[in-house]
Amino acid sequence: MSVETEEKLKTIFLVEDNKADIRLIQEALKNSSIPHQVVTVRDGMDAMAYLRQEGEYANAPRPDLILLDLNLPKKDGREVLAEIKADPALKRIPVVVLTTSRNEDDIFHSYDLHVNCYITKSRNLSQLFQIVKGIEDFWLSTVTLPSE
Amino acid sequence: MTIELELPGINVNSLKEAPIHLFKQIQPHGVLLVLEEPDLKILQISNNTWSIFGIHPENILQTKLEDLLDPFQIERIKTGISEGNLEFINPTKIWVRKKGDDYAVFDAVFHRNSEGFLILELEPAVSRENIPFLSFYHLAKASINQLEKTANLHDFCQIIVQEVRKVTGFDRVMLYKFDDDGHGSVIAEEKLESMEPYLGLHYPESDIPKPARKLFVANSIRIIPDSHAESVQIIPAQNPVSERPVDLTNSILRSAATCHTEYLHNMGVGASLTISLIKDQKLWGLIACHHQLPKYVSYELRKACEFLGRVIFSEISAREETEDYDYRINLTYIQSKLVEYMSQEENFIDGLVKNQPNLLNLTSAQGAAVCFGEECTVIGETPKPEDLNFLVQWLKNNVEDEVFYTDSLPQIYPDAERFKNVASGLLAIPISQRNYVLWFRPEVIQTVNWGGDPNKAFEVSHTEGHVRLCPRKSFELWKETVHLTSLPWRYVEIKAALELRKAIVNIVLRQADELAQLAHDLERSNAELKKFAYVASHDLQEPLNQVANYVQLLEMRYEAELDQDAKEFITYAVEGVSLMQTLIDDVLVYSKVDTQAIAFQLTEVETPLERALSNLRQRITETGATITHDPLPTVMAGSTQLMQLFLNLIANAIKFRSDEPPQIHIGAERLEDEWLFSVRDNGIGIDPQFSDRIFIIFQRLHTRDEYPGTGMGLAICKKIIECHRGRIWLESQLGEGSTFYFTIPVGGRDRERRNGRKTQNHLFG
Repeated sequence: MSVETEEKLKTIFLVEDNKADIRLIQEALKNSSIPHQVVTVRDGMDAMAYLRQEGEYANAPRPDLILLDLNLPKKDGREVLAEIKADPALKRIPVVVLTTSRNEDDIFHSYDLHVNCYITKSRNLSQLFQIVKGIEDFWLSTVTLPSE
Repeated sequence: MTIELELPGINVNSLKEAPIHLFKQIQPHGVLLVLEEPDLKILQISNNTWSIFGIHPENILQTKLEDLLDPFQIERIKTGISEGNLEFINPTKIWVRKKGDDYAVFDAVFHRNSEGFLILELEPAVSRENIPFLSFYHLAKASINQLEKTANLHDFCQIIVQEVRKVTGFDRVMLYKFDDDGHGSVIAEEKLESMEPYLGLHYPESDIPKPARKLFVANSIRIIPDSHAESVQIIPAQNPVSERPVDLTNSILRSAATCHTEYLHNMGVGASLTISLIKDQKLWGLIACHHQLPKYVSYELRKACEFLGRVIFSEISAREETEDYDYRINLTYIQSKLVEYMSQEENFIDGLVKNQPNLLNLTSAQGAAVCFGEECTVIGETPKPEDLNFLVQWLKNNVEDEVFYTDSLPQIYPDAERFKNVASGLLAIPISQRNYVLWFRPEVIQTVNWGGDPNKAFEVSHTEGHVRLCPRKSFELWKETVHLTSLPWRYVEIKAALELRKAIVNIVLRQADELAQLAHDLERSNAELKKFAYVASHDLQEPLNQVANYVQLLEMRYEAELDQDAKEFITYAVEGVSLMQTLIDDVLVYSKVDTQAIAFQLTEVETPLERALSNLRQRITETGATITHDPLPTVMAGSTQLMQLFLNLIANAIKFRSDEPPQIHIGAERLEDEWLFSVRDNGIGIDPQFSDRIFIIFQRLHTRDEYPGTGMGLAICKKIIECHRGRIWLESQLGEGSTFYFTIPVGGRDRERRNGRKTQNHLFG
């Protein structure tokens, strides 16, 4: 980077019910060179409350990237995705679906809902680490996103 | 069977015979008077009073009846005719003074004609022939007793003619029965030994033409005492009141039509007596008495015969009806059995053909077929399948009613002549647009004995520009063989077929409902299975992934601190998890094969094959495999499934390779109504004893160390092919390579057999 820009802390919003997966993603992000914080919620209802800054999330920072699992308690990840993409205030935040499902219906449906990309969690740890790193590099530094 | 009258340009029914009932002549043995009520003025009289009374007719005309008869008789007559029912007075004895104290005694019968004139007919009384009532009663009683012991219709008829001949003493007494097409036949006969028998002879409809038959219905007894007697005119010819010839329909003395007397002469008949047998207001038949010489039968005796005939005939009708009734009851029983069988069988058609009684018994047919869609189920003697198909096509295009029947199918459907031996008669009920139940009857070569050639029943004589009908003169026995005709279908049989139709329609509708319900249930359970398969795979995968990932994380972070054993243990753990993951994937694929609605479409087989090969690219390169194929067709199939099929078969061929680089060839060959594909390799081969087992789910022939895999690949292949309604099998020898064959029907799944109802769902084998 030639031009020094003020390093702004990036917020990664992780919506994932499985503690083990949260931990793995956190592990994968440990080695990141990009200053960031990971905010985690464990179900779809909380995810929407956070994004709409409701209740306890009134002062929650707006995420720069959403990592979304599809199978969530209370409110399904597919619904969360649909609501984000239908909300003018939220729809420009890049959403990456990161899920175990390889179901073609899920993949088609997610892209129909304008997901930014759909990634299947690898069963191979080093691949998983690479994927997370790839997401981070791509979405937090490579792409140009509209400034809100 | 109708006999066409081949009379070019002449319509028999419109020939210029004067209408019979308007004949202005009577037979000469009696006197006919036309009277005007109430004062009984004599308006018309027959021109034979001189010979019978010794009084000229002009001396009688316009006088009153009381001028001819004495007051005592007039009193009795006036009382009688005012009773309202002339039967109370008929017959009555009347005497007419001839000359001096010479009286002539007559049997007198009154009737009122259609114009309201009172007609009095006098016949000379032959009192010696009077039968005392009691002896007549004994006669009738004896006959009826005999009848009660008699079982069948023919013996009954025989008794009638015997009794009538006993009472009347005619040379010949016949019972003549009309069939549906108007022809008649002699079904019983009593005669002099010396006479030629007429029993069994058939007479064409024209022998007793319609107008004559109407008269027989109106006038149940007719006597012609002398067929050669000269007829007598009624004078005046025009009735002075109506100014028309008088209507003599119900007259006893009315002359027979010239045609009829000629007919009698041709048969050598001098006298005839005819008694009509009426059933349901229709002429059922006649008792015909013939005598070679003239013969007079008194009114009483005629009435006695008529009574006897009627009593016995009512017994016949009852017996005929009982026979019909018994038969109908029997058919109703068969019908209820068939309905019961149909509801017991899984497929109602089996209920119609598999048991006793069956379809054949319902209509007394020799063959029957139930054609549903493309399938014809047959029983007994029937046309060949292709003939049946064409026949059903023809019915579809030509029959719209609920029932169709004919006893001569070849006459309306000429192709049927080829199978007349089994199907000259056809009774058909359409169940719906394309489904029929058919019954067949064979040709019955019936030799009909005609009393003369039915095609030449008439001769037409042209005299003075008039065309006149004459009866035929030849009475040679003329035999006509009735071709292409079966026994006729009876009304009760047709009705039974129609009843069955209702039952079948109900059952088919009910089964359709059940099928719809089944399909609905199946759809629901399929949806549930799909969901289950998805959830199971996803929810099972997650914890496995967790185990795999954390074991690897452990290995990565703490590698330095682990000894060799620990590393091996970790490897085993990782391998176990990985196998479990693959298994779950395969189970998911296997379950999806038939729970997903496959879009069957025209597929160029090359496309899925290429996709399979590109998936296998890496392994093909690694093993140096060469893969070749025949020109491949386009079939109705699911493209993704075909890809999966090729993928599994070719992957197997590569996996189980010998020391040689794999050489794999995909063949394709067109059979009659399916494509035969093959995948041939030069691998290690399979012992033939396992050639069926390898398609069973989880079935493996090797340890996983030798050949990795879940043992599901071929089970998936088999299921894919089953979904396409094809077959898959293996031909192989150990050490000589293997060839997998599979077929795909040309028309796709549409060529399903009827048992497609039994949709099965093997989720896990």
